[in-house]
Amino acid sequence: MDLYVQLVVNTLQVGAVYVLFSLGLTLIFGVMKIVNFAHGEFFTAAALSMAVTVPWFTGALGLGAIPTFVLSFCISIAVVLVLGVVVYKFGFERYLRDLIGSFIVSIGFVLLLEGVYLEIFGGAPRVIAPIIPGVANILGAAITWQRLAIVLLALLITFGLYLLVTRTRLGLALRAVAEDQEAAMLQGIKYKRVALQGFLIGCGLAAAAGAFMAPLTAITTFMGSDFLIKAFIIIIIGGLGSIPGAIIGGFLIAAIESFGGYYFDSSTATMALFVLVIVGLLVRPQGIMGHAER
Amino acid sequence: MRKITGLTMAAGAIAGLAMMSAAQAETLKLGLTGPKSGAAAAWGIGFEWAAEQAAEKINKAGGIKAGGKTYTLEIVSYDNQYNATEGAKVAQTLLNRDEVKFVVGSIGTAPVKALQSLSERKGVLIFTTAWGPSAKGPSFPLTFTQINTPAEVLDQLYGYVAKQHPDAKTVAMLNPNDATGQDTEKVAQKSWAKLGVKVLSSDWYERGTTEFQPIATKLASIKPDIIDLSTTPPNDAGAILKEMRVLGWKGVQVVSAGTSSASLIKVAGDAVEGTYMGLAADFDGPAATPIQRELNKGATAANGDPLNVITIGAWDAVMALKAAIEKCDCVDPKKVAETLPTIVFESSYGPAAFGAKDVYGTPQQLLVPTIVTQISGGKVVERQRVIPPELEARLKAAGK
Repeated sequence: MDLYVQLVVNTLQVGAVYVLFSLGLTLIFGVMKIVNFAHGEFFTAAALSMAVTVPWFTGALGLGAIPTFVLSFCISIAVVLVLGVVVYKFGFERYLRDLIGSFIVSIGFVLLLEGVYLEIFGGAPRVIAPIIPGVANILGAAITWQRLAIVLLALLITFGLYLLVTRTRLGLALRAVAEDQEAAMLQGIKYKRVALQGFLIGCGLAAAAGAFMAPLTAITTFMGSDFLIKAFIIIIIGGLGSIPGAIIGGFLIAAIESFGGYYFDSSTATMALFVLVIVGLLVRPQGIMGHAER
Repeated sequence: MRKITGLTMAAGAIAGLAMMSAAQAETLKLGLTGPKSGAAAAWGIGFEWAAEQAAEKINKAGGIKAGGKTYTLEIVSYDNQYNATEGAKVAQTLLNRDEVKFVVGSIGTAPVKALQSLSERKGVLIFTTAWGPSAKGPSFPLTFTQINTPAEVLDQLYGYVAKQHPDAKTVAMLNPNDATGQDTEKVAQKSWAKLGVKVLSSDWYERGTTEFQPIATKLASIKPDIIDLSTTPPNDAGAILKEMRVLGWKGVQVVSAGTSSASLIKVAGDAVEGTYMGLAADFDGPAATPIQRELNKGATAANGDPLNVITIGAWDAVMALKAAIEKCDCVDPKKVAETLPTIVFESSYGPAAFGAKDVYGTPQQLLVPTIVTQISGGKVVERQRVIPPELEARLKAAGK
């Protein structure tokens, strides 16, 4: 029993960050109809920002763990949003709803940003000291308090996004643009403005995921690429552009990693993800929650 | 007019001197390929640093003299990201663009195999830390191994662990799913079996894995007496040990390719206490040589990470190459490769040689002491040092 609870807890803690990261990617695809390979770089930027600011706040300024995390988190989000505006204005704005053009532009940004990060931060991994120490016990399953806090925060942000998309005028505009851009424009929605807003929300979600992962893992200048592959699997399985699809896909992938990793091994579970994508594309190319193009 | 003539003559004399000097002192480019980013970055960064120190020392002492010329050394280093794809790119760059004839260090079996496919054809001599036996042997006459590898390390390491923990009868193994992991796993399985330790599981994971809880959950649930993380790089090994501690598992921890205590501790904190390692070394300890102490101090100051068996291998390769070039009085890689197994040279460990023909079929394995270490009180402590019998015989024959 304890084992199954542990596997479920593992699924939740892994899946929460996957969902957050994938939501940004799917939102950007939904609104802008672009495949943003540079999404991982926003994740990396936030984690690197945490790696710089957390030691500075705790060391030089002597702040406590929680204020440090809150301040560093806010700075990371701000850094990524600024980066997002630059990337949008100098790149994606010219390639809205252009899959091939945006694909090439985003690959260019990946190479550029990875090179810049490597030049500035070096290749050696950085580590942030745990912010909340201790281990919690949930029905016999062990999880660090830090992980638990991050899972709850990630779920909170996901719920916030759900409210934003379903209950606000911006959410309505985002959905309208995602459904039919021309019809939305005919209704008076300013597409470019909504596209920028959607892009920045997506960047913010990637930044939140990166900032949350920073205290949990070794921070490297390439870490976003590893998450990006998972995120693509998630949104392909969940349905490109679908927010519920990203949530279902995120937890499904985490469950395969957790249960597959236990019953087989980690490598087999990773291979299973790719097999799942192939089968998914053959059987239901639009994904679990996606709509078939008519 | 006289003034112009004088100036012209002076300029001509300077140019002539410069040309003579250029003819006598040539630059010998030495290639290096290792991971300088990602989970194994500590290895590549320290490796490059050690090679540069060796080159600087030789250059300050007047360079390498061979065939009537003096060569100053220049290290050309690239990041292979510990994978075959980047390894192949680096190999192309080093051998085709930079036209190096000697590679004084290469890390990672997969990228090294990519390098070998080009270097052996182009007649380039390479030194490698690759752990896989598949990168050695008569098929690779220009490949020399610059550190101890599984055949040299595992029996010593596991034997020591088994002696210290006689009640430990089961082990769970984990390796990265690539050439390094696969080659090492076979040797490790045999080594544990020889000691009567039962291998409960031998699992694989992909490099680039970001979440280690599922792996740790499986390892902990098997309830082994020993966890052997084998060739798992320092950051990944630290993450797994940290997660296993969260799950409450306590047992004997072994990282046979474990090198970097600093990286392990940084990631896992107290969870790495007591971990046995096969490629770390206490280069500040009583058994270290003066040059190892000096290099270790410099590396810690420069990179924040002490040297280990892998990283110091770059220094030893440069020194071996210098000795072989001077002995054969040439810079022809094939002739240097023929000379290397015949010499005794001054490595960072003291006098060393190349041998182990009985194991690999060719005498191209560096013979240096095997060192078993353990993390104790947050530091690497040397627990056992074994000098290869073949090296002892060679030193005796050489009168050293």
